Amino acid sequence: MDEKHSTEIVADTVEDAIAKGLAELGAGPGDVIVEVLEEPSKGMLGFGSRPARVRLQLLVSREAQPQETHEETHKTTTLDDTSYDDIADDYSHLAQDAGDEMLSHYQQQAIVDDSQLGDDANVGRAVLLELLDRMAIDADVTIRRAETSDDDDDTPWLLDVSGENLSRLIGRRGETLSALQYITRLITSRELQRRANIIIDVDGYKSRRAGKLHNLALRMAEQVTQRKQSVTLEPMPPYERRIIHLALRDYAGVDTRSVGEGDSRKVTIIPT
Amino acid sequence: MEELIEYIAKSLVDDPSQVKVSRRVSGSTIILELRVAPEDTGRIIGKRGAVANAMRTLLRTMPTRRRERVVLKIL
Repeated sequence: MDEKHSTEIVADTVEDAIAKGLAELGAGPGDVIVEVLEEPSKGMLGFGSRPARVRLQLLVSREAQPQETHEETHKTTTLDDTSYDDIADDYSHLAQDAGDEMLSHYQQQAIVDDSQLGDDANVGRAVLLELLDRMAIDADVTIRRAETSDDDDDTPWLLDVSGENLSRLIGRRGETLSALQYITRLITSRELQRRANIIIDVDGYKSRRAGKLHNLALRMAEQVTQRKQSVTLEPMPPYERRIIHLALRDYAGVDTRSVGEGDSRKVTIIPT
Repeated sequence: MEELIEYIAKSLVDDPSQVKVSRRVSGSTIILELRVAPEDTGRIIGKRGAVANAMRTLLRTMPTRRRERVVLKIL
């Protein structure tokens, strides 16, 4: 990328970084495309703190907006289709997607007592504890009812893993947590002979992340409407992109799209 | 880590008696070999390798004595 036309800025907040970048380029808010490369992080769970990182690219000629699908479906296409698709586990599709999107608005209710727990919660917790035991992780699993803002009688159970030094259970961008949830749902669904309606979290990581993403979406949407310029967020997994799409679904003056493929797929917020 | 893979595989196949996990070391790599009944291969690989990849992701988090790399082979 041409140095004169773009810059990458590191600052404590995304807003600071954008302001510094505009000053450096001598540009006005309407002259650049902003890409949020990394949000600031306070260093929860031993990840270490990170500042915000933003790239500003000067608009020389009008760039075509990348066009891609609108509403995020959870089926992320991967390139390597294998011939095993046909004989793949009947339950594997059941292990995907259930309820992650609901995390964007849930509040945790009080821990429910054992007699109120559904099969999904009980079987799911048992499976999860078996997995954690074999991963040499000493942790407790607390069951909560995930509460959504939508009217939905099919509320998932939230299995929250708590203990010490659990950052390895989360992984980069929650990759390990996703794998743990996938396997837990798969085994639980097979035992129940139906889709297990459970969400796995580690020390409230997902709910905190969902809250942060929701706020980020609103802050960036405000910038987009003020500056009439698109903002592209950092690459995110499907359920995180969905949180952004949902947060801005009813936000006047902006539209959201996912662009890019696979791990580099990210949300662009565009003015309407 | 063999126990983790064995538990996951036995929980997903139709014929748990045929699940075998063996481990060998090659240089700085630990190789886990998972064998299941031929009819069950698809179940432990999953759509587009989703199950196998999830197992590999979980394996990567396991601490190893000499920081060996862990590879999962499905035979």
